[in-house]
Amino acid sequence: MDGPVGGIAGGPVSALVQRRLTSQNLNDLIEGAPDVVAVVGDEHRLSLTSRFRAVPSDEHRRLDAWMVEQAGRPPGPFVWSPATARRLLASNALRRRGQVDSLLDAVRDEVAEQLLRAAKGYARAGSLGHWLAGVPHPVLGLITAEAVNWATQCLECVEGIASPWRIASSDVYYDVARARTTLRGRRDVVVETPAGRVIVRIRSGQPGKSAGPGLRADLMVETLAHPEGVAPRRYLGLWPDAGLVLGVDGSMENVRAGARDFLRAAVVQRRLRLAGPPSPGRESDEVRGLVA
Amino acid sequence: MSQLIVKVVDVTMLSERAPEVISEVLRGDRSRRPRRDDVSAAGLRAALEDHVFRVFAGEQRDAPVVITAASLGAAGRTLDFGDSPVARARGILVSTAFRLLVAQVHLADPYDDALTAWRGEHPHHEVLDTLTHLDHDQLARLRADVTAHVTTLQRAIGVFPSSWRPRTSQRARQLLGGTSVCLSDVVDLVVGSTQLAVANVALVDITTSPLGPGAERVMRYHALMQTLRTSVVPLRTSIYSSATGELWSTDVDHELLMRAVEDVARVLDRWTAPLVESRVAP
Repeated sequence: MDGPVGGIAGGPVSALVQRRLTSQNLNDLIEGAPDVVAVVGDEHRLSLTSRFRAVPSDEHRRLDAWMVEQAGRPPGPFVWSPATARRLLASNALRRRGQVDSLLDAVRDEVAEQLLRAAKGYARAGSLGHWLAGVPHPVLGLITAEAVNWATQCLECVEGIASPWRIASSDVYYDVARARTTLRGRRDVVVETPAGRVIVRIRSGQPGKSAGPGLRADLMVETLAHPEGVAPRRYLGLWPDAGLVLGVDGSMENVRAGARDFLRAAVVQRRLRLAGPPSPGRESDEVRGLVA
Repeated sequence: MSQLIVKVVDVTMLSERAPEVISEVLRGDRSRRPRRDDVSAAGLRAALEDHVFRVFAGEQRDAPVVITAASLGAAGRTLDFGDSPVARARGILVSTAFRLLVAQVHLADPYDDALTAWRGEHPHHEVLDTLTHLDHDQLARLRADVTAHVTTLQRAIGVFPSSWRPRTSQRARQLLGGTSVCLSDVVDLVVGSTQLAVANVALVDITTSPLGPGAERVMRYHALMQTLRTSVVPLRTSIYSSATGELWSTDVDHELLMRAVEDVARVLDRWTAPLVESRVAP
């Protein structure tokens, strides 16, 4: 087993693998993933907790790979829209796939269930069901179209995978104890191989320069949230619009890099909340102190 | 040489002959579908990269040159009436209505339903500002126009079985020369799967303008972008005009894709001519 998270300040980061998004390449990346992966123990978790506790927060903070990619800048207020609703609806619809004839029917069933939940009073304010209950009929149609698109795209990406796979039941969350911090990792498909799991995440658009740190952040949360702290063999990010797949191995270096990026995001968030935009030099000094 | 199939659908008068529908044209003859081509994409990408390298000589640009289907469709033209704000609003509303039709949503009023759906997706879009500044007559004209286009589409669209996996407004983005050139594309309708042993994917562009010489370039561009996106050559590419009811459809082959590469190269040459001249000048 490797040292604790944050126990080594620097350290090399495993290379980001990049391929064209084809079934052949995807299978190669899954089959060729390293068998030896990081295992996170109690000392790692304690170390991470102490780092996050050193960055106090007035309110409970939620961090995810998107914030890491945006260099800690908090996102604007979340608003439901056809684009933000499609992934949740599509994932649920894909899990229903065996029960209904088509993806369109599966999405419609999912929308109907959300509406039913809202009608029975089970949907809390701000939830998807609550929002869907208030939108006009044509917008529901567009939401359905978006969700069918996303579900079809997911299926096109992963149905060529040779190993057994399943749609992830939800994103993965890890609550950093006594640090008022919740980390969220995004995942769409879990591929089970004899040597361990490979996680697939699907995003729209094209990967930017921070795609690697984003994947490492998701890898880190996935590892911490695992009951035994075992990292996936590889974390793959699929960008179907660009026809690209990027991947990071489940090594301890990558898990550590993910932890460091989350801490940076927390520090930047705190400074933005307290004193406005930071000067680059000051920020890097404080970040270095915290993550070292 | 790829054979251009031109299908004309009557829309100005009621005919006893049933109009040909898009879904039937896309289906074509199943027994004549070629094997899936998943090797051509690399060559096309290399040809594009070579041209970008020749144009920019390896220099990285601060902002990429963005090429879209509109860049090719309007090649050589300086003024296009389709570029007016009202025409743009019409295009957006017809496209939104088309998405609803493919999702098998009943449209009680095509204009109102499309506008409501568009507003739900883009509540702050500039097109909505354009609409609020139109007077009563202009709005009535736009409403009639959108209704006519959508009615034409409804007659022609046919039924897409769920096994065809219809998806609308499919986006594609490809960066070339590092980040010097960005090829961007949105296809109104894509059907079929890239996972089968035979070519199976068909692309449809919906336009509210009459079909002209630029339409063929747009069809080729969609085929090229789909090939670069999935690394699999699509079966056929089509364009349908809701203004005239014409449907052009052609099978995709290597020659068509190479012509699409040449189209992109021509646009790049035209846009970057001043850059090249300044480099050559003493």
